[in-house]
Amino acid sequence: MDTLSRRRFLALTGGAGVAAAANILSVEDIAQAAITRPLPANTPILVVVTLYGGNDGLNTLVPYSDPLYYSLRPDISYTPEKVLHLDSTLGLNPSMTAVKNLWDKEKVAIIRGVGYPNSDHSHFSSMAIWQSGERTQTTKTGWLGRWVDSQPEDPLLAINLGSVLPPLLVGKKRSGSVLPLGGLVTPSGSLARDCSRLSLPALGENPLAARAATSLRNLLNISESVSPILKSPAPVATDLPTVNGGNAGGDNNLSQQLDVVAKLVTAGAPTRVWAVSLGGFDTHANEANAQSELIGIVSSSVSRFLSQLVASGRSKDVTVLVYSEFGRRVAANASAGTDHGTSAPVFVIGDGVKGGFYGEQPSLNNLNQGDLAVTTDFRDIYATLLEGVLKVPAEPILGGWKGRINSLLRT
Amino acid sequence: MATLSADQERLALSRLYSRFGFGVKAGEFESALANGFVNTKNSFLVKPTQDGIASDLIPITLDDLGPRPTPGTFANTEYSLKLSKQNKDLVIWWLDQMATTDYPLNEKMTWFWHGHWATSIEKINFALPMYKQNITLRNNALGNFATFCQSMFQDGALQFWLDGQDNTATAPNENLSREFMELFTLGVGRYSEDDVKALARIFTGVQVQRTNGSVVFNARRHDSSPVNFLGATKIYTAQDAITSITSRDDSSRFIYERLWYRFFSSTETMPVDINRSAFTSRDIFAAISDLCSTPYMYAPDFAMVKSPIEWFIGLCRVFGLTPSATKNFSAIGSDLQKLAQVPFTPPNVGGWPAGEMWLTSASAQFRLSLSQNILKNVSLDFINAIPPVSRVNYLRDLLGVYQWSRRTSDALTVARTEPARMLLLAINSPEYIVGA
Repeated sequence: MDTLSRRRFLALTGGAGVAAAANILSVEDIAQAAITRPLPANTPILVVVTLYGGNDGLNTLVPYSDPLYYSLRPDISYTPEKVLHLDSTLGLNPSMTAVKNLWDKEKVAIIRGVGYPNSDHSHFSSMAIWQSGERTQTTKTGWLGRWVDSQPEDPLLAINLGSVLPPLLVGKKRSGSVLPLGGLVTPSGSLARDCSRLSLPALGENPLAARAATSLRNLLNISESVSPILKSPAPVATDLPTVNGGNAGGDNNLSQQLDVVAKLVTAGAPTRVWAVSLGGFDTHANEANAQSELIGIVSSSVSRFLSQLVASGRSKDVTVLVYSEFGRRVAANASAGTDHGTSAPVFVIGDGVKGGFYGEQPSLNNLNQGDLAVTTDFRDIYATLLEGVLKVPAEPILGGWKGRINSLLRT
Repeated sequence: MATLSADQERLALSRLYSRFGFGVKAGEFESALANGFVNTKNSFLVKPTQDGIASDLIPITLDDLGPRPTPGTFANTEYSLKLSKQNKDLVIWWLDQMATTDYPLNEKMTWFWHGHWATSIEKINFALPMYKQNITLRNNALGNFATFCQSMFQDGALQFWLDGQDNTATAPNENLSREFMELFTLGVGRYSEDDVKALARIFTGVQVQRTNGSVVFNARRHDSSPVNFLGATKIYTAQDAITSITSRDDSSRFIYERLWYRFFSSTETMPVDINRSAFTSRDIFAAISDLCSTPYMYAPDFAMVKSPIEWFIGLCRVFGLTPSATKNFSAIGSDLQKLAQVPFTPPNVGGWPAGEMWLTSASAQFRLSLSQNILKNVSLDFINAIPPVSRVNYLRDLLGVYQWSRRTSDALTVARTEPARMLLLAINSPEYIVGA
């Protein structure tokens, strides 16, 4: 894995399922939809933050009172006084001051030891498992793509920031849409008319060609409704310091993505799921600074984003999920980095979240071939969010999965 | 090969050019139809001249820039400028090569292998090691896979990309060993976690000079103790271990899976009974020749999406454009970047995505923009010479498209008296973006 690139890290084979062509929507339908049917107030919104490359859980949520942590990671550990203490044993990476502030306001749930049975150390397999929500991928769809399938068709329902669709949002019948950071430029005039002719369904067309036609149709549809919104400035974060803190950022890719999401949520886009991402977490070598910087970006970007939404009254409706495909090996390697591991903490952040710890912290005394135990199944979190945030029965989407994280959300 | 119907001939030829090459040049598809699939395929497969690859290669000079001068000095600024020029030159060099080559099969295979051993200049930083890797990919593109793997282990860019230089006896780094088996040779699940750890130890001791990609073996950093690897316990050299890997049947299976995924279908799984005997001695050319002669070439259901580079180079070839000679290359390059596919910059070690990942509304927009930028370099006289009533079929053959749907032929008919508008629609049509 590229340790520097912030580009999207897409699963090699996951999510390659082909959705059937969507029903035809006229340009007018959608353009009007954005204006005439903004998301009703108080509708919950889920924002999924994917950290590509395998974020180091032990240097995110640091077991600072455990001597084993220091002996296994002599060069890449954080001393107790540097860690942001959450309780007498665990603390956040020093760069995560913004999330620490939210934790103090009881808006941060940290689910510990999250993974799946028989951990796979491959980036691609593991990310495919996380994005599909299936331990063995049988449907080639993403867990939120299946949610899109369960909803009435609407190209604005689930949107990924960036120009390539992640497997997460690929459904069997339909998929989420994507928005590049610069927004979309609407074809206009005769080009728009030409493109709409070219984007009609064709009889007997192969599914991929049908998909190409749909993407052109969606371009006409989505861009009509969201382009004007994207040109407006991002909402101001009202309650964050503007210097020395998270609000000073804004030049990194994740905060740019969340800026766009903040604008669109504020404008009332009828979108209930947003997907954003940050890459570069595959810290096999010289980890300490790189991981700390990246997780600090995540911390400040998410906190800034929630603040930006305060003025619109929507911040209370937003729940943010932050996950990565795996944690890292407990012991450091010789390159002051860590190799691929297993479980890691997952963060769920928002006003609707009951802050605190969930799940058991995996013990450093009880490693399985050098890796942390998995104490919480990732599907417990998905099921809880599908039911608590998206308000749909989770079991049809998650293959009958029964586990839940009890009392994670304030209902 | 059985006698093919006219439709099967068209489909097989369309696939031959768009999948195993970078699309047709003007007039090429019409002559191919006249010559028939079998004859066309036979001449497509062989090198055009005795020393085809070498004589065809556009020369480029990339000096070893050496260590970076002290920050803040004039020399350092100059160094940065040289570095960024080299990196840009390298990308344009390859685009030109793809657009102009007389042996598109070798070029396409080089591109395939670049996505296979996917290494990004974003981490390597220097053009010279990336260029050397490209030459290795090029020289082995249709050669022997076992030899190829040995050469790639000696590749400085690949080693640096996957932290091989940090992999030492004192504590091994698994990055290269894991990806070597998972993504390059065997496929996920065809080895154990213990094999990954053992191979990391076997691979220890490589050091890389980053500015030029030269690789040296440092015995003091190497772990020469016996390990259990793929079922046998002994002292392995890296070369032994690679031979053990590539002689396994799983390595043949895996390479076929990858060829299938990139050349036949990214959505339909490979038929379980596919005949892999051509690859018994790991001869890549034999495997490709054999695959080009199978009924999969004209069986329905194996549509493939053109990736942005395949689509772009296809247009360069059919319009006779050399990317570096376009009058607006910076706009074109920026569109390619937005389409998220620039040579030497794969998104990760798994290479670029395939299939519907390229069929988003954003890609649709950027393809429109790139089309407009490309068409600024195309004289439309050749279309003006064709009577409007024949233009829809003319464009189909010009572009090597299997068939237009009724939808597309209607849309083209509406625009047929305006060549620029018609061409823009044709190259953005679902039938051109997705090869049947």
